[in-house]
Amino acid sequence: MTATPTATKPAPRFVRADGPDKVTGSGRYTADLTLTGALAAKFKYADVTHARITKLDVSAARAMPGVFAVLTQADVPSVKFGPFVQDRTLFADGTVRFEGEIIAAVAAVDAATADRAVAAIVVEYSPLPVVNDIEGALAADSPLVHAEWADYGSILVRDRNDASFASIAKGDVEQGLASSHLVVTSRYVADGCHAAPIEPRAVVAQWEGNKVTIWTSTQVPFDARAGVCETLELPNNRVRIIVPHLGGGFGGKCGFHYEAHVAALARVAKRPVRLVFSRREEFVAPDRRREGIVYEFHTGVDADGRIVARKAWLAIDNGAYTADAGFFSQLAAMHALGPYRIPNALAEAHLVYTNHQPSGSVRAPTAPQTCWALESHTDEVARAIGLDPVAFRTLNAVDTGAEGPSGQTYGEIGVQQCIEAAAAGAGYGNPLPDDEAIGVAIGWWPSFSVPSGAYVKIDGDGSGQIITGAQECGTGAVMTLRQLAADELGMDPEDFELVYQDTSVAPYDMGATGSQTLFNNGRAVVAAAGQIAEQLRNLAADRLEASPADIVLADGTASVAGSPDRGVPIAELAGIAAGGELLIGHGSGMPPGPPPTVGSTCVGDLGMSAWVAPQFSCHAVRVKLDRDTGVARVMHVSAAHDSGTIINPIGAQGQVEGAVLMGIGQALTEGTTYDDQGRQRNAALLEYKLQTAADAPPIAVHFVEINTPDAGPRGAKGLAEAPNVATAAAISNALAQLVGAPVRQLPMTAERVWTALTEQAAQS
Amino acid sequence: MSFTIATTLDDALAALAAGARPVAGGTDLVVGARHGKAPLPEHLVAIDRIAELKTVTETADGVSIGALVSHHQIETHPLLTTAYAGLADGSALVGSPATRHIGTLGGNIMNASPAMDTGAPLAVMLAEVELRSVRGTRRVPIEALWSAPGRTGAEPDELCVAVHIPAPDPRANTAYVRLEYRRAMEIAVVGAAAFVALADDGTIAALRVGLTAVAPTIFTGNLLGQVGRSVADAAAAAAALSMEHSTPISDVRASEAYRRHTVGVMARRAVEAAARRAAGETIAIPVNRAIGIGAAS
Repeated sequence: MTATPTATKPAPRFVRADGPDKVTGSGRYTADLTLTGALAAKFKYADVTHARITKLDVSAARAMPGVFAVLTQADVPSVKFGPFVQDRTLFADGTVRFEGEIIAAVAAVDAATADRAVAAIVVEYSPLPVVNDIEGALAADSPLVHAEWADYGSILVRDRNDASFASIAKGDVEQGLASSHLVVTSRYVADGCHAAPIEPRAVVAQWEGNKVTIWTSTQVPFDARAGVCETLELPNNRVRIIVPHLGGGFGGKCGFHYEAHVAALARVAKRPVRLVFSRREEFVAPDRRREGIVYEFHTGVDADGRIVARKAWLAIDNGAYTADAGFFSQLAAMHALGPYRIPNALAEAHLVYTNHQPSGSVRAPTAPQTCWALESHTDEVARAIGLDPVAFRTLNAVDTGAEGPSGQTYGEIGVQQCIEAAAAGAGYGNPLPDDEAIGVAIGWWPSFSVPSGAYVKIDGDGSGQIITGAQECGTGAVMTLRQLAADELGMDPEDFELVYQDTSVAPYDMGATGSQTLFNNGRAVVAAAGQIAEQLRNLAADRLEASPADIVLADGTASVAGSPDRGVPIAELAGIAAGGELLIGHGSGMPPGPPPTVGSTCVGDLGMSAWVAPQFSCHAVRVKLDRDTGVARVMHVSAAHDSGTIINPIGAQGQVEGAVLMGIGQALTEGTTYDDQGRQRNAALLEYKLQTAADAPPIAVHFVEINTPDAGPRGAKGLAEAPNVATAAAISNALAQLVGAPVRQLPMTAERVWTALTEQAAQS
Repeated sequence: MSFTIATTLDDALAALAAGARPVAGGTDLVVGARHGKAPLPEHLVAIDRIAELKTVTETADGVSIGALVSHHQIETHPLLTTAYAGLADGSALVGSPATRHIGTLGGNIMNASPAMDTGAPLAVMLAEVELRSVRGTRRVPIEALWSAPGRTGAEPDELCVAVHIPAPDPRANTAYVRLEYRRAMEIAVVGAAAFVALADDGTIAALRVGLTAVAPTIFTGNLLGQVGRSVADAAAAAAALSMEHSTPISDVRASEAYRRHTVGVMARRAVEAAARRAAGETIAIPVNRAIGIGAAS
């Protein structure tokens, strides 16, 4: 159970299959596609944030030369959709509720003509009161974002602007706080932020008869297909979603977005139609923005610093419509309690409608900001009771066999080892200059156990194909499938080509979401390859006059166990199979079910309070602060992760490094600001400040590899989201030491740090 | 719409006289058009192939820098990175390596953004801009060139062909520092340049400070009252005066109060760095990295 630095592990020697394409620029992305006769699509957006449409006239736009289609809600089936609350339609239906709401869509011979047609659409509004404040939206007298909220179909616990309430309760929190030696109360506010993938999304649709093929930059092709089928009332088998190379997603391209709009345009125009977003559209329109959250915490500890009780209250910005944020309230409640042993716990989370862009899954939804708030609060508690922050966490964090805040008792987990490894990797405790400090934070994240499928086949020449429903969004998870298949069959990863990102070719997979690709599709590929392995063993057994059980597949050869010279090349067996029973495997496997929880209750339960194969992490970050300006610079990050077995060390290290850099941005520079109407003020890459390569600090990565119950293939958990959880929190805890008090709003911009420094100076 | 390529200066001036607008690196013009800031001009003349505008020439009076000299040339030029170090500080902070290779000094000056990074150092060096047209040539002190955000006193047919910087005294040099939230693809939140000449006893012999992004145009102050005072005192005075004379705005990048505070910090640091250089010390380009936080990582 020791931390293993990545560098000591031999890296697999295969070349990432999509690497050369992407590095050399020969790869094709959706916006690169050209189809004969393709039209350009443009949207007419609301621009106002809350209003009733009193007039909508597209006749002038329709009459313009070169315009082939102009669509509004009147031109598509009257379907209300949404995964958790059916509260929206493809186009505005009488009322607009955020600036990026689509009023109409145009397909024209070129982009300039489409722009002119959009400008010719006449819309008049009667303004409605704007809901621009998360907490204010919960007030009894707040205007409603959805006056019709009670009529919507939903599985959630809702009330007026509260689109999803969830709570986790265990023990008696009030009695626990009352009996505590000391109670610390804190308030934190996190601003919303963005996934900001380098590729603005694009969609191309083409009809052939009554079937449509849609090329789209989505992380979730099957979800996109479901959205098209639901809103355009089509059966699954008439909609084919193909994803060319995806230029990043970070959760922002999860969900169903504009595939139906473009398909509907193409059907009316009787031509292929191509939509390519501008950077501004990528910021403003999608229902995938990381949610702003307001937090209140109360934590009581005994005289030794053990947590007795914790109460958390959260108001989460849902934005104008409920995308996949429906489960955020329960997920955020778990993160607000944290991976701690808490006998008396109560977390209450509200998902609140506002007239902001809708929230949706961005890498580890609700976790980085909630970890930031909770772990900043945790350092306040440690300071109040006089414990070192690392010692406080070692004392209070969950461990193997311990019971967590939702009543789940954990099997083997590595959180304590993560704390030890991250602190050691940061040189925690060593003397530092006056303007530097190390902050520490722990985080957790579930593995999502869901169905997933794959086929594997080996042709007569011995070359293989993996045909998978899994989606590669840049993490390399799909690339790693080759390694699993190769290991199962004793072949080389480079013997396999991947066929993927096509819903009409491959079986179902949930997509590049929830860090689930390797966890679930890996299981499917292993199962599919296992079927072929059995075929190969039978073929080899015939050939070598041995029992199939004694055949070993390794190094491209099937040989008899204990007699390595009695073997036959797998390629030769494939040639034999090509003349008889073909080498075809299919796999899915049974996803592990949720572990039990004992002694807690969950209102608004969506299965988020008990986690299969939970992942743990600890980040220790050294920060340097320019006290004259409030500008902070991250000098070094030590990131320790329990994500189970690491199958592809190079890919895993890259995931942690990228997520840490994203976390630094969320901590210091990335935050959406709104004007008084709820419109984004910084929807551009100059004003929305992502971190750059020049800002990247050295990042030391440690993997704590343990024997995880109910894990994915070979003991793997997920890793795409977990490394994004604890970085901002650790930076906050370093800054709090340097400032003398926490910076209570995220991002902790230079100006906010300077303001906190000024307030500290005024108090002392 | 027309697009012509000029290979000689005369061709370029003739095109301007006929109503075309010049484009060199395009890092402002093209990006601005894409973002809807201003449409591309109807007639463009590309000047990026005019070799005579790409040279850095040491003269008896100082140095002449062609308008097409790139920021990358400036940040790596042996003379500019030593005797005119403040300019190199500014060029080294522009955009990304790609921007610095394609973006030109002339473009930066004529774009007239109050947030430009080369403007304040050139202004404290008392640089002059050479404007040429088919009608003739004139020189304008650089600070007088800028009239408003994005506007200069150049006539539509005039092309910026060079910047002339007087040679500094042996015990004088410059530095430019800016407040930035990240280390690349950044724009100055505020910035300050200083020209410091030292007397033999190490006190201030001359001090000029130029400020970036705290007024409609970059402006300078000649701090005559600091002559004879210590560098530390002069730096503190420069900070106070900079805060006093700035008229910053509040926007999405920073509040008025924060800009006013930090421009003082930048002015103090610029004076300190310029004084160290004037005393003979070498501070790596850009001074932001050398004295800024995290420089030793």
